Amino acid sequence: MRSSSGSRAVIVGIFTLVGLAILAVFILTLGSQRKTFTSSITVKSYFSNVNGLQKGNNIWFTGVKVGTIRSVSIIESSKVEVQMYIDKSAKKFIHKDVRAKLSSDGLIGNKIIELYGGTPDLPNIEEGDIIATDTLFSTEALMSTLSENNDNLLGITSNLKIITDQIVQGKGTLGKIMNDETLTDQINLLAASLNRSAVNIEKLSAAASDYTEKLNKPGTLANDLVSDTTVFANLRDLTERLRVISDSSQIFVNSLNETGKSLNASLDNPNTPLGMMLKDEKAAKQIKGILGNLQTATEKLNEDLEALKSNFLFRRYFKKQAKLEKSKQSSVSDTTFSN
Amino acid sequence: MSSNSAPKYLISRKVDTFFSDITAASEFTLRFFKEVFRPPYEFRELIKQCYQVGYKSLFMIALTGFITGIVITKQSRPSLSEFGAESWLPSLSGIAVIRTLAPLVTALICGGKVGSNIGAELGSMKVTEQIDAMEVSAINPYKFLVVTRVLATTIMIPLLVCFAGLVGMLGAYLNVHVFEQTSMTTFFIAAFDKISYLDLVSSLVKSIVYGFTIGMVGCYKGFNASNGTEGVGRAANAAVVLSMFLIFTEEILLVQITNYLR
Repeated sequence: MRSSSGSRAVIVGIFTLVGLAILAVFILTLGSQRKTFTSSITVKSYFSNVNGLQKGNNIWFTGVKVGTIRSVSIIESSKVEVQMYIDKSAKKFIHKDVRAKLSSDGLIGNKIIELYGGTPDLPNIEEGDIIATDTLFSTEALMSTLSENNDNLLGITSNLKIITDQIVQGKGTLGKIMNDETLTDQINLLAASLNRSAVNIEKLSAAASDYTEKLNKPGTLANDLVSDTTVFANLRDLTERLRVISDSSQIFVNSLNETGKSLNASLDNPNTPLGMMLKDEKAAKQIKGILGNLQTATEKLNEDLEALKSNFLFRRYFKKQAKLEKSKQSSVSDTTFSN
Repeated sequence: MSSNSAPKYLISRKVDTFFSDITAASEFTLRFFKEVFRPPYEFRELIKQCYQVGYKSLFMIALTGFITGIVITKQSRPSLSEFGAESWLPSLSGIAVIRTLAPLVTALICGGKVGSNIGAELGSMKVTEQIDAMEVSAINPYKFLVVTRVLATTIMIPLLVCFAGLVGMLGAYLNVHVFEQTSMTTFFIAAFDKISYLDLVSSLVKSIVYGFTIGMVGCYKGFNASNGTEGVGRAANAAVVLSMFLIFTEEILLVQITNYLR
């Protein structure tokens, strides 16, 4: 009886220990899952809407769980303070300018806080830091966008249906291309023409290549213009001189212009000799009469000179002149023959 | 003549009996808290009762927990498959087993097995006047019979719940592994991902309350058995029915309190 009660006590002891061990395993597993026994720092963020985020929800950084939500509390209208436990072991990877956004582990999963970004040059986050937040993830917003996309897709497919119907019926440019054989021939011709054009362009480009090659050859004018500094200096001197000449010409033209103007003024004035000659008819008639008298006088003088040639006083002089003339002509002809 | 003129019952016989039973049960329960801290302590009887309640129920609890784990997973799979959420099966099984199924199933099984045992044992001792004989022998029957049994159920049922939780999770894992080829590590990480300390604590508190209830109801019904062997059967039956009813009532209340704290 005594041994029976003793073994019973042992069994109860084992049973109790095993039961407590199971409970301890549960607690430890839960603790490791919840990071209860890991040392952590507390940081916070402010959101306008946390979409059902709860205490104990996870915090991810680059897809790895680095902490849990400590508390979620409304501090003023449209401002929710979220305090977060971040594992100290993860602290060295998270920098001051890291940003937080509300996300979800799957389309219908729990809400999480996702940390992302951060510049490695900046120091790591510390206890009590405030993490900047970004636009919230919202299932409603996502569904709204998806709905809008669906509407757009419906519109696109409807338009495509209309377009394909018209193509099948031979309407529009594409429809004609697909159905009109003459258009196809024309397109073929066009393609052939384009092909020829391409060949010509190829030739042109080859010629242009040759030309540029020649231009690049040293000693040519174009190459000298580009590369020879003395040619350019000469051109610059020449230009300078041309400019000086141009200035002088301008002065000359101006002077001529002035002269012309004064001449015109003189011509218009009948009191000046030229004006009188051009404008005064009476003077013109007098001049005409003088010229007629001069003509008559000249003719009479010619007659008198002819008469003088016959005079014995002057005959000898005229014969001497004739001989001198003759000798000059003979010397000229001798020179021509000798050449 | 004067005694005949006085009313026999305050309201009616049934109602008066009901309220007087509540008073008696309350006194019986309060007496436990008085006796439990008062020496002498019946350790040997306590260990015997722990052996009876805990070890002797282990196989049945483990089997029931294992089946429960498999069943909850099997029943949940079609619903989750409809929207491609089979990956939620571990967390769903974890929540179901730890939060509710392990404490409730253990309590119901123990309520049936242990509660009826205690009721029948104490009832037969009552009708055969063994309890009266103990009183005559200067042995406190309440301390020897009731305190040890209630303590045994209060201590052992939480431990049984731990076993049931573990075995239930293993059953769920087996089912998930067979159908989804999920590894044990992945399964348990996912299962515990959605469980909080509050779930674990509330589950333990519930099992302590259920254990206390089962022991107390069994002892009370057995201690107050009457009318010979028929009374023994009635006491055993009443112990099971009342303890189960109280377990469900307490479940509702404790779930409400847990949700309030959550």
